[in-house]
Amino acid sequence: MIEFSGVSKYYDQDIILKDVSVSIEKAEMVFLTGPSGAGKTTLLKLIYCAERPDEGHIVVAGWDIRKLKQRTIPFLRRNLGIVFQDFRLLRNKTVFENVALALRIHDMHPTEIKEDVFEVLKDVKLSHKANTYPAHLSGGEQQRIVIARAMVTKPTVLLADEPTGNLDAETSATIMNLFRDINTRGTTVLIATHNKSLFQGTGCRILYLRENQIEKELIG
Amino acid sequence: MRIFIYSLQTAFKNLWMEKWINFLTVLSVSIGLLILSTFAAITLNMDAVIKRWAMSFGLVVYVEDNLSKEKENKLKDLLQRDPDILEVKYISKNQALKELRNIMGDESAILEGFENNPLPSSFELKLKSELLHPDLVKGKASQIKDLSGIEEVQYGEKWLSSLNKITEIMKISTILLGSIILVAIVFVTYSTIKIFFYRRKDEIETLKLLGATRSFIRFPFLLEGLLIGLAGGIISSLSLFGIYTIIAMKIPLFMPSIKAIMVSLPLSIYLSVPPAGAVMSFIGSFIAVGKIRY
Ligand SMILES: Nc1ncnc2c1ncn2[C@@H]1O[C@H](COP(=O)(O)OP(=O)(O)OP(=O)(O)O)[C@@H](O)[C@H]1O
Ligand SMILES: [Mg+2]
Repeated sequence: MIEFSGVSKYYDQDIILKDVSVSIEKAEMVFLTGPSGAGKTTLLKLIYCAERPDEGHIVVAGWDIRKLKQRTIPFLRRNLGIVFQDFRLLRNKTVFENVALALRIHDMHPTEIKEDVFEVLKDVKLSHKANTYPAHLSGGEQQRIVIARAMVTKPTVLLADEPTGNLDAETSATIMNLFRDINTRGTTVLIATHNKSLFQGTGCRILYLRENQIEKELIG
Repeated sequence: MRIFIYSLQTAFKNLWMEKWINFLTVLSVSIGLLILSTFAAITLNMDAVIKRWAMSFGLVVYVEDNLSKEKENKLKDLLQRDPDILEVKYISKNQALKELRNIMGDESAILEGFENNPLPSSFELKLKSELLHPDLVKGKASQIKDLSGIEEVQYGEKWLSSLNKITEIMKISTILLGSIILVAIVFVTYSTIKIFFYRRKDEIETLKLLGATRSFIRFPFLLEGLLIGLAGGIISSLSLFGIYTIIAMKIPLFMPSIKAIMVSLPLSIYLSVPPAGAVMSFIGSFIAVGKIRY
């Protein structure tokens, strides 16, 4: 589902990723970990085309990123659900509207949108905040809205960048259950995190990113 | 269709959120359009006046002396069959003399000195209005003069060329003023929409990351521009109607002669201003949004 071969990425002169090759299968759940600044976010950005690789090939859900035309990028992204490390919620829209936006972009019918949004808000336990603006939510609540927005489209691939950074252990466990659910329904899940407790005992592959490379691969 | 409805909702929401900037933009657009349509109204009135003047323009064709009646009739026939000539009026020698006597009044005694009538017979011609251009009239005149039996062709050459100059100046200034104002409208909307676009840069970035197509991002901005232009156009049409009605009512009180000249504005002027505003503002916002890159 996600295929990196010999991928390198530079920011100006700084080398961030060097000759990275990795393959993630369909319906797999994989963790990406490593020290801060190792390039986890960068690797995810390469997958959703916010950054382009300087060397190597990337194939996502059958799309060769190198050959992707500007106007086809949105169609690649519609296969992805993304939990951004910096949330990217729209300030001037309510929680409901923020989540609904993802479905609007998918051109879904308004009544279906309503149903799906309320369902996913129930999953992240924030139905009661539907009409609140993001600025009036706690960090953890905002994070759960982002997760809801990423999942509501039932994506082929879910990319989560530090999805539990602002959550307590209990809520983290709830969110991880949601990820496992969506994963068992066939969605490929890639989670970038520092939080070892998320992947310990999961039996999932863990990619350990360090010094511009995937230094080692473990089983959680 | 759904994307259109959603874009329209977004556009209205954004228009409302930034109502002051938008109000000012609409105002500028409507002032521009009002100036333009007022000028168009003046031009139309002037045009009507000029057309009336032009009606009085004629050529006088003097026939050679002692041409037979038969040949004169033939000439008349020839002139009447010319599609460029609207009207042919024959004035015989005797008629001409009578007219001259009338004009001279008491002094017509001088005329008694002549044994024979010294005046030639003539034709007065009215040309089609499309032909009222100095060069065209000149061509026509010399063409007529080349017919056998014609002594001379006379017309108000100076008068015609000044008439033409006025028409020309009016045409050029309408085009000039029109394009300046239309460009100004494009620019005004451009800068307003550009401001909105920059203010919402973050939001747009997020939309892109969520998989929004270019149209999804662009449409609300384009509609905003279009609505601004449309609103400006409607306001200016209504004001033009109001102003024109008041003027048409009040002016004859002071200057009765104007009333005779003033034409009522055709509906098409009122109807064409809003779409013109919409199109120009649409162009402005289209340029402002520019190319969207992922
Ligand atoms: N747009 C950019 N321009 C220049 N350098 C960048 C840019 N984005 C990231 N970097 C650099 O690339 C390196 C990797 O950043 P990245 O965000 O991928 O790290 P990360 O592993 O996600 O870290 P964290 O765990 O703190 O989120 C960092 O040193 C960062 O300074
Ligand atoms: Mg990061």
